[in-house]
Amino acid sequence: MSGDDDSNGWQLTESDPGVFSELLKTLGVPLIVDDLYSLDSESLASLQPLHALIFLFKWVSTSSDSMSGNYDPEFPGFFAHQVVNNACATLAVLNALGNIPALKSGSQLTQLLEFTNGMDPQTRGLVITSSDWLREAHNSLSPPSAISLDGLGLPKQTEDAYHFVVYLPFMGFLYELDGLKPHAVSHGSYNETGEGWLSRAREVIENRIATYPPGALDFSLLALREDPLPLIQAELAELQAAGKQAEAADLVVKLESETSKRNRWNFENSLRRHNHVGLVHSLLVALAKAGKLESAKERAKGIMKERVSKAKSKGEAMDES
Amino acid sequence: MADSGTLLAFKAGRAFRREGTNFVDPSPAKGAILLRREDDLLHLMWKNRTSNEVEEDLILFPSDATFLKVSQAPGRVYVLKFSSSNQRHFFWMQDASSVRDEEFVNNVNGFLMDPDYEASWGSSSQPSTSTSTAGASQSSAPSNFQATPEQLAQLQQLLTSAVGSGAAPPSNVSLNNILTPANITPLFTSHPDLIPTLFPHLPPDLPMPPSPEVLQRIISSPQFRSAVSSFDQALRTGLLGGLVRGLGLPEEAGTGIEPFLRAIQSQAESERGEDTMDTD
Repeated sequence: MSGDDDSNGWQLTESDPGVFSELLKTLGVPLIVDDLYSLDSESLASLQPLHALIFLFKWVSTSSDSMSGNYDPEFPGFFAHQVVNNACATLAVLNALGNIPALKSGSQLTQLLEFTNGMDPQTRGLVITSSDWLREAHNSLSPPSAISLDGLGLPKQTEDAYHFVVYLPFMGFLYELDGLKPHAVSHGSYNETGEGWLSRAREVIENRIATYPPGALDFSLLALREDPLPLIQAELAELQAAGKQAEAADLVVKLESETSKRNRWNFENSLRRHNHVGLVHSLLVALAKAGKLESAKERAKGIMKERVSKAKSKGEAMDES
Repeated sequence: MADSGTLLAFKAGRAFRREGTNFVDPSPAKGAILLRREDDLLHLMWKNRTSNEVEEDLILFPSDATFLKVSQAPGRVYVLKFSSSNQRHFFWMQDASSVRDEEFVNNVNGFLMDPDYEASWGSSSQPSTSTSTAGASQSSAPSNFQATPEQLAQLQQLLTSAVGSGAAPPSNVSLNNILTPANITPLFTSHPDLIPTLFPHLPPDLPMPPSPEVLQRIISSPQFRSAVSSFDQALRTGLLGGLVRGLGLPEEAGTGIEPFLRAIQSQAESERGEDTMDTD
């Protein structure tokens, strides 16, 4: 299910916060995506202002995914169907962005969202998928296909497709936006006090996870949030100007942590965009010039031999069971 | 010698695809392909000439199958390919002389297209090639077999997917196991002057300046390792002749892992001769 023939030029991307955040940057949106390791109040609070939660999971065919909530065919917000599998990540992002009030975005995205106003989910999905500039932005973070491996009939490197579901508040209700479902799903209203929509979202997501036997579901959570960097920098400047050294010191730590995370994202993204064939070649030449290629080859043969015999003995052990 | 049901027969062995690869290994068993008409159905059989047993018996419907030379493979290898399924049966000619190969193949295809075909024997020594060419295919189409454009496209697809262009024997060396941090890191200390030769090949938009530390990080990264795997896989198809020329290597280097590594060794040796730096 590599979606190779109907990929319409959309390449499969990694579902990494760095990849998502770079896409947001390209779209001119001042938000980032971060990994969410827990749904507890402290973790969620630290990520505020938080606009949406993205639940991603490997599609399990024995889906005990009984539906909770109710379809809302009259959902007045932005909801698009997933019409190309490989575009699933970007589609989920758009389903989130399209429902954030007063969102700042680049002109291309603004125009795209306006253009799809009033369209039904299927048509919206088609319009999004046929947007050239969006597809290019999406593809810019996968390995360059110009590596000319196309047409060699190679089995597609199967990074199993994750499925993405967005949870966000819209006009007082918690909505679940799943591009593979016919309509937006409403999970009812929530209490505006305290954690607000997040506490309802936590309930719904935890219930969903609980419908699977423990360990059966491979899933992740992402948070779509305001980019904290400019806020931290501004606050730090204020504190330093006011001579509040102790509080400034705390913030400096926060700033460093956020900055190093961005550096790591930038590093990984530059590797994702790069055609590594030249580096592979020059590394091998360097090994050869240093007279070390032969021994590396022999060692590699040994590794392969070991692996094969391990696999064989495993296979034999399994046969006996 | 042949009974009334046998339309033709010739010496041929079988070859089998190696599981999970694009390589086909010939089986040494002496055999023969027989085309027979039984109960109004066309059968292609493979008979083991040593045991005299028919080990393969395929029923063929008109135009369902074609018998094509795999010109990208060394030797006289042919494949029986079906349009109705993914089945492929590989054979290799076992008659010492190849003089009659084409004649047999022409007639096989004639029957495969039309069971009422009339075999022609003792054809002229100069085969007439088909007027349309199928890209990389070097096989001359049988003189009385008109390949449709669709069949030529199928041939093209077959040649690129079944066996790589003269692909080298499979290697049990994986590039991922050669380009390990364990192998590369020692270079930083033993041959520091080689390191700057790698810098031009790093991503141009790295958020930090190139350095041995950055190199190390890159080599251990999942993105790089994934790129090495992809390249390794592509090399094994034997079809990277064009791509490796761009690296200053001969076309032969693109036929497999071993030829690639051998070519790298030669390239390194000739460059080393040009280098002015002292070698250890």
